[in-house]
Amino acid sequence: MAPVTEPFPISNVAGRYLLFDVDVISHVRRNHNICGVLIGTIPNLSQQNVFLGIPLQLMPEEARVLVEQGHAYIFDDAQAHMQGFFGMSRKDRLEFLRMMDERGQQRARDVRRKAEERSEKALREKGLLQARTEQKESEALVAEGDPGTDAGGSLFGSTPQLPANRRVADKKLAPHFITPTTSYPPLAPPSQPSTLALPEVPRQYPIYRYMQSKGYFAMPGLRFGCHYSIYPGDPLRFHSHFLTTGLGWDEEFELLDIVGGGRLGTSVKKTYLIGAEEPEKEEGEEGKVRAFSIEWAGM
Amino acid sequence: MADEDEDASLLWGNNVSEETDLSDETQDFRFLNNLTAHDTGNLSLPKRGEKDFESHATNLQHSMLEASRQAMHGVLSWTRVHGPKQHILGMYHPMSNMAFVTNPKSQHFRTVGRAKGSTQWLLPEEALFLIERGSMDCRWPVKEDEGDDGPIDTQEGVPMSLQGAYAAFLGFEGGVGGKLTQEMYTVYAGLKRSGYIVFRMGTWNYERGELQVPSLENPATKEGNWFLRLFGGIWRRLTQASTEMPAKQLYFGPVVKPGLYRSYSDIYRLLQLTPFHDRMAAPTFILPPDHTNPFRVVFDVYKTDPKFKKSACGPPDFRIAVINARETSMPTAAQLNDLFATTPYDLPKQNMQLYQKLKHGSRNVILAVVDNGIPSYIRIADSPFAEEKLYERSVHQGNKRGKGRGGRGRGKGRGRGR
Repeated sequence: MAPVTEPFPISNVAGRYLLFDVDVISHVRRNHNICGVLIGTIPNLSQQNVFLGIPLQLMPEEARVLVEQGHAYIFDDAQAHMQGFFGMSRKDRLEFLRMMDERGQQRARDVRRKAEERSEKALREKGLLQARTEQKESEALVAEGDPGTDAGGSLFGSTPQLPANRRVADKKLAPHFITPTTSYPPLAPPSQPSTLALPEVPRQYPIYRYMQSKGYFAMPGLRFGCHYSIYPGDPLRFHSHFLTTGLGWDEEFELLDIVGGGRLGTSVKKTYLIGAEEPEKEEGEEGKVRAFSIEWAGM
Repeated sequence: MADEDEDASLLWGNNVSEETDLSDETQDFRFLNNLTAHDTGNLSLPKRGEKDFESHATNLQHSMLEASRQAMHGVLSWTRVHGPKQHILGMYHPMSNMAFVTNPKSQHFRTVGRAKGSTQWLLPEEALFLIERGSMDCRWPVKEDEGDDGPIDTQEGVPMSLQGAYAAFLGFEGGVGGKLTQEMYTVYAGLKRSGYIVFRMGTWNYERGELQVPSLENPATKEGNWFLRLFGGIWRRLTQASTEMPAKQLYFGPVVKPGLYRSYSDIYRLLQLTPFHDRMAAPTFILPPDHTNPFRVVFDVYKTDPKFKKSACGPPDFRIAVINARETSMPTAAQLNDLFATTPYDLPKQNMQLYQKLKHGSRNVILAVVDNGIPSYIRIADSPFAEEKLYERSVHQGNKRGKGRGGRGRGKGRGRGR
């Protein structure tokens, strides 16, 4: 895993915040307890919805925390690509194509080597490879008539493979083609803009920021009828503890919301949590956030 | 290489019951560790619940988390490689924000793309999904004014990265007047990964969908012998004095006048006073046409069918509207009415159980509500309570207690009083 230098760029594609670099994705998970939502399809595992891949979609709240704390900056990815690819010079293009060609050739060689290793392993498991080397030795020694009578039958079965393998090695390999995950290269990574655009966040943002600052992980909570489902650690390892809804400080809400949230939370072994931010008392001072957990007491 | 992942469906095995949805929770990527393109035969996906409640700062827990993270990192680093045999070469078309493939020789084109001559044109979501699943090698167009000799080969274009594909097919979409949003793509890709066949409904270039008028033939009256129907009608007319009660009469007289009644049904029919919406009547729109109205059907979804042909796909199995949970709240009655008006009149089958009939509804639609990349699917149906008259149920039908009536969707813990 390559180290990530901060601040790192966050792609803004049509108003959504996406990460494409696997190192950055691991970095925010480890160092900023931000896990986002993987929304992409994993190549070769594209017929299931349990494990998803790159890109990682960040909630606006997550992007906001990262930008506010100076870990990241937002850039307009569509604009960067439009400039980078529609105006690409012939020289840059051919250079990049040559580089991709090399990677494709390298890949083709790897694939062939793996295939050879596999067949060699399979042969060894059946005890044929040994027979093959014995055969070579016996050829060198110009034979004693019967080089192991028991292996003789299958030995004939494996002989046609040998010349075939050699023929592939001699031929120029058909190139493989690679679709890279990120656009760097050929583009240069976006530079940090002088003015930081903060992502727009919904009004429940304070409770998210508060829980994130305490080391909790958050996922979008619509499935559980709340704003965030809050995890005590990495969701890879832990179950979520809180179904969290952010409110306004003096906001009145329906008693039924407590019943609904509390019932649902208790039935899925989680706790319903509501929280709000106290209005700023002085200019520029961040308000205090208070949170309350609600559980069926089960008396 | 791209098609070998079909084996992944085997992973489901028998240990995934209908009630648990594994995608509800973040699953441990370590289970994918041994999973390469060549070795998917004997693996099964993990059962849920193999996680800890909270951190207890032990080395064991740390090392397990570290292993999970490493596995995740490893899986996310897989690159998309196109072998020489399965190489689908596409070209991006900036004017329409679509892609085209001049040499479409793949199974994928049975369910995506539109043919124009020998070229297949891909809509943004189709192109993006093919790139994302590692099936298509898409290229950026080459600037023409560079003094190259002759026509430029597609292969001369720069390969489009996954990031580039998102930036183009979703980021440029607004610039060409396209309607595809990230939420719609999330739903599209999720359904495609589940194996459904998904197409856009219509062209998306309208302010609202078309009214779907029910055909005048009532399927209920089509059944049975004409002879029986005729005499049944005469008999009914003879026995029931007046099924229709003039509104004026209700002010004065009793609802059920003294007289001769031969069955309870006749009396019940007279007691039917509450007016209800006639579902056979032609629907009308309530709201003015508005192209920003999110409550519209965007995808036609078909179940997997090996004989599926995109030229003759027939009526879809499901209709899906995509809603962004962050921007849209529950639909109003008017919005629902207009949404239903664009879905066809789809009566439940006559032999269904009463509860299933009510659940199926006379018109229905699925709302895909997307909260930051996580879709939830909600089915909304127009339940025909007034058409399912309880007093008309024949006795022997009532005795037939179907198997499917047990699980009525009520919580299992009902009455436990937690």
